[in-house]
Amino acid sequence: MKLKTREQSDVMIVELSGKIMGGPESVQFHDTIKQAIGANRKRVVIDLGEVEWMNSSGIGLLVSAYTTLKNAGCDLKLARTTDKIQSLLVITKLNSVFDSHSSVDGAIQSFN
Amino acid sequence: MADSARTPDLTDASSVSPFESKLEELARLSVELLRQLRSNAIDPKSAAEYKALAAEVASVELAAELQQELERERDENAILQTVSLKLSSAGELRDVLRVILESLAQVVEFDAAGIFVYDREFGQIEVDMLSGYEAAQRKKLYEKFQESVRSGEGIVATVVLTGRPIYVPDVRTDSRYVEVRPSTHSEIAVPIAVRGELIGAFNLESDHVDNFSERDRKTLQTFASHAGVALERARADRMRQHTRRIEEELALARRIHSTFLPKTMPLFQPYDLGGMNFPSSEVGGDYFDFVPITESDLGVIMSDVAGHGVAAALLMANFRACILIESRAHYAIRTILSRVNEFLVETNPPDSFVTAFYGVLNRERHILTYSNAGHNPPLLLRKGETPRQLSAGGPILGVFPGVEYEEAHVQLQAGDLLVFYTDGVTEAENSGGEQFGVERLSDAAKRYATLPAYEIARRISHDVHEFQAQDENQDDLTLSIVKYE
Repeated sequence: MKLKTREQSDVMIVELSGKIMGGPESVQFHDTIKQAIGANRKRVVIDLGEVEWMNSSGIGLLVSAYTTLKNAGCDLKLARTTDKIQSLLVITKLNSVFDSHSSVDGAIQSFN
Repeated sequence: MADSARTPDLTDASSVSPFESKLEELARLSVELLRQLRSNAIDPKSAAEYKALAAEVASVELAAELQQELERERDENAILQTVSLKLSSAGELRDVLRVILESLAQVVEFDAAGIFVYDREFGQIEVDMLSGYEAAQRKKLYEKFQESVRSGEGIVATVVLTGRPIYVPDVRTDSRYVEVRPSTHSEIAVPIAVRGELIGAFNLESDHVDNFSERDRKTLQTFASHAGVALERARADRMRQHTRRIEEELALARRIHSTFLPKTMPLFQPYDLGGMNFPSSEVGGDYFDFVPITESDLGVIMSDVAGHGVAAALLMANFRACILIESRAHYAIRTILSRVNEFLVETNPPDSFVTAFYGVLNRERHILTYSNAGHNPPLLLRKGETPRQLSAGGPILGVFPGVEYEEAHVQLQAGDLLVFYTDGVTEAENSGGEQFGVERLSDAAKRYATLPAYEIARRISHDVHEFQAQDENQDDLTLSIVKYE
């Protein structure tokens, strides 16, 4: 898993790529989410467009980001969910929990 | 043995050695020469005599120094041999380090000493062996280290960070020095390295200015390399113990997990039941069960905990206990899942969850009532119809409080086949990165539909294993079959 962050229109964008399968590398991800809250970023987009593969532990990462941000009064959107991730979201019925958008810009606009 | 005439004996004042009488003669001559020099009348005879005598005295001194050096080397070698012997008998690290310090004290004079290990990951220096520091000074030492590693000050911290030895003949003139013992006047510290990797430092302090010779520094470095071997061995021992403990924990978790799974399937005619679980190399988080509730009702559970290892096994234990208790309480299925969800939300770590299918099969009316909490939808295979996926329900368990679950019914017919599975089946990948998928699963189930339930599960599992690329990232594989005969 690789992780990059950037800012656009007051929104923090977390770009994930590679294989998302939880485990030790999730620490960096959790830290990033905590930093977003610490820096008072109310809006976060997770860009999943470059994710090659994700398992249920990867879904666990998204879920914990969602609950952590929500508890801190922040809003999370997903952008560019791949077919594979979309099917995982459908099976776990998290598609009703996560607000997914086909583009990062679309996700950013949906905050307004 | 050295010739006693050429060895200065400075301990016995009562007897005057030939060397001492020569020194006395030399002193007398030098006074005489000085007097002649002042009166500008140097007697060449006295000068020649003085030169000869001085040369003789110098050679005796040199020989004596060489002799001392040789003796010290012999002592050192003997001591190092003792240290090596101690090292080779696998003792406690602290005992070995103590022997190293005590042995060093026999060849180098110092007033305080310490062996320090640097934890690069946490940027901390750990003190492994100290000598010559009072209790209050030890406390100060611990505090100073954390500061000095951060600020890059302090002799030991500098050695640990740079890997280069430092000798400070007078601590009052070195800005890097951080005081711990007020009486210290000189300090020396050398790095401890193992196979080129810097792991710590060995330092000596003295109450005298410029106490440590070049030779002392070399000796200290030799002892430091022995300390390195001891520390490395202790670290390897700790790693081994740690690995063993983890393996024991995993073995225990595996045993716990295997006790969750049904050993034999209940008899529930006219339904034939079969199921199996192949745990991954780690401890798995899959759980399936057939739970007789009443004479006519059978609970069917298929579930998966996100993650592996001991944490997943414990969460699975939690889920299992909870659903078994709730399923016997005769609540509606959607209520059972809501209650299990609430319980898991309270007890779960935030990034773990359970996906579960729970259904109750009534063998008089042949109705399966179910709710699916984010689990891979089981397949209902009926002759001449496309496979149906049983997905009605709600989201995963253990994350969102207050979630409501939908409940659905399905009327079964003779010849129907229900296939329950976890993602280890459909997400098994071949070497081309292609997944086994739902279609291959339903095709395989249809192919084996005439066989007994257990045999269907076994054949499908076999197909999945054949399909799957041989890598280590294999998930748990769990399948169960309900066949209406």
